[in-house]
Formats: sequence, C-alpha cells, structure tokens
Amino acid sequence: MAFQILLNIFLAFIWMFLKVSYDPVTFFVGYFFGFLIVFAFRRFFNSRFYILRVIAVINLFFLFIKELLLANIAVLKVILKPRLDMKPGIFALPTELKEDWEITILANLITLTPGTLVVDISLDNKILYIHAMDMGDAQDEINNIKKTFERAIMEVSR
Amino acid sequence: MKTNDVILQTVTKITLFIIILFSIHLFFAGHYYPGGGFIGGLMTSGAIVLLLLAYDMKTVANILPIDYKYMIGVGLLFSVGTGAGALLFDAPFLTHAHSHVLLPLLGDTALHTAVLFDTGVYLVVIGVTMTIIQTIGEDE
Repeated sequence: MAFQILLNIFLAFIWMFLKVSYDPVTFFVGYFFGFLIVFAFRRFFNSRFYILRVIAVINLFFLFIKELLLANIAVLKVILKPRLDMKPGIFALPTELKEDWEITILANLITLTPGTLVVDISLDNKILYIHAMDMGDAQDEINNIKKTFERAIMEVSR
Repeated sequence: MKTNDVILQTVTKITLFIIILFSIHLFFAGHYYPGGGFIGGLMTSGAIVLLLLAYDMKTVANILPIDYKYMIGVGLLFSVGTGAGALLFDAPFLTHAHSHVLLPLLGDTALHTAVLFDTGVYLVVIGVTMTIIQTIGEDE
C-alpha cells in the first residue's frame, strides 16, 4: 500500500518536471494521471489497489464517530434511569487480529461501544477481557458489534 | 536455459509507470508541441511490450485483461463519433469546435474536440500494435 502511494506521488512529481510547472494544480493533475495508471496496473502489485484501503479507513472512522455518539446516549439513558437494575460482568472475547495496532484499535473501539470496557488483554494477544455494564441482554448483541468492528479493521489491514 | 530476470523485472516495475506517464504527456502536448495520439499510443504500447519482455504472455494477460481488438473498435468509434458530431450542429463532417472553460480546480482550460479524435487515434494505435505483437508472440 505504502509503495503504491509513494509511486503515485513520485509520478506526480515527474509530471511536474515534464510540464516545467510547479503549481499545486500541476501536482494534482499529475497525481490524477498517476492514479489512473496505477489503477490500470492494479493487478501488477501484490497488495490491493490502495484506494480500497483508504476507503476502509474512512469507513472505520465514521463507524468510530457513530459508536461514540451511540455509547454516550446509552450511558445517558442508564444514568437518568431511576432504578439501577443492570447486571455488570466480565466476559472473554477471542480475537483473530494479529498486529499490535489492530488489537489496540479494536480495544479502543470496544471501550467506546455502549456499555463495554476492555479491562485486560491476554499475554498472547488472543483474548480480550471485557467488562460489560449489562450482561443479561447484551451478550449476543455485543458479540455482533465486535464482529462488525473486527471485520472493519480486517478490511483495512487485509 | 532459464535465467533469473529479477533485475529486469524490478526495473520494469518502476520504468513502466514513468514511460506511460511520459506517453500521456506526449498525448496532451500534441496541440502545441511535438507529440499527439500516434506517438503517445506507440509509447504506451512500448511500455506494455517492455512488460511482455520482462514477464511472460500469461502474466501480462492477467495484469491487463484487455482484448486489444475491441480497443481498435472503440478507438474508431471515438474518431467517427467526433467527426459525425459536427453534423448535429449543421457543420461539415470533421469540423472541430473549441472553447475556454473555467473548471473548478484547473482554472482556465482550453477544451478542444480534436482531443477526442486524438483519443481515438491513441486507442487504435495501442490496439493495432498490441494485436500484431501478441499474434506473432502466440505463434509457436
């Protein structure tokens, strides 16, 4: 991915040298043509075409914003409830993610989902221990949310 | 004898893109400077030929799944289409129009329908060259 972006920028600079014009506009035009060329030869590279990853990152960002809003609304509801009838608990979530940064992002996203908080991660980076605010009804639903997060992160790193 | 083409392949990986970028530069330079659809197309197909030299036929067909015979057809359609477009405006066949347009990012840009005609030439040249080379290459 980094190679493709670097190549695209490199092509944009070559375009500027060919045109003997050092405006930002020339850079963008060169970047556009480089983009088309890299797109035409996308099967030439070992990794996917880089714009797909950029889109995946943007998706992950909007997912993050959405969950942040939902989490705060959910917590607000609990605070305003007159009776404290929830059942807190801790459960383990096995994860398929390997890289350190992937696990960090997943943990941070889980912490921001409604009513969950990452307490600890096992030493082999395979299991996340999560504190849930309301264990009873949430278990399945939370696991679904984890699947969407895990998938969104995998889209980025694949 | 099978040789290791790693140097050729690695150099191709970078030069290929520079050659194609230069061919696009030549293509767009055609109106005011030496260049145009013909040498732009030839140079693009030259880059693909370099790819064919560095890799084998099957790999290139995987990288660029294009039927070059269709490319000739599309290019001819472009050229005939721009020529016939003049008839819609009560002008003789192949009359070209041009104007200056203020585009959002690019600023004052001269747009000329001759570029579309040149695009047709560009595609036909790539199509013909690649068809010839591939047909000869596939002959065992």
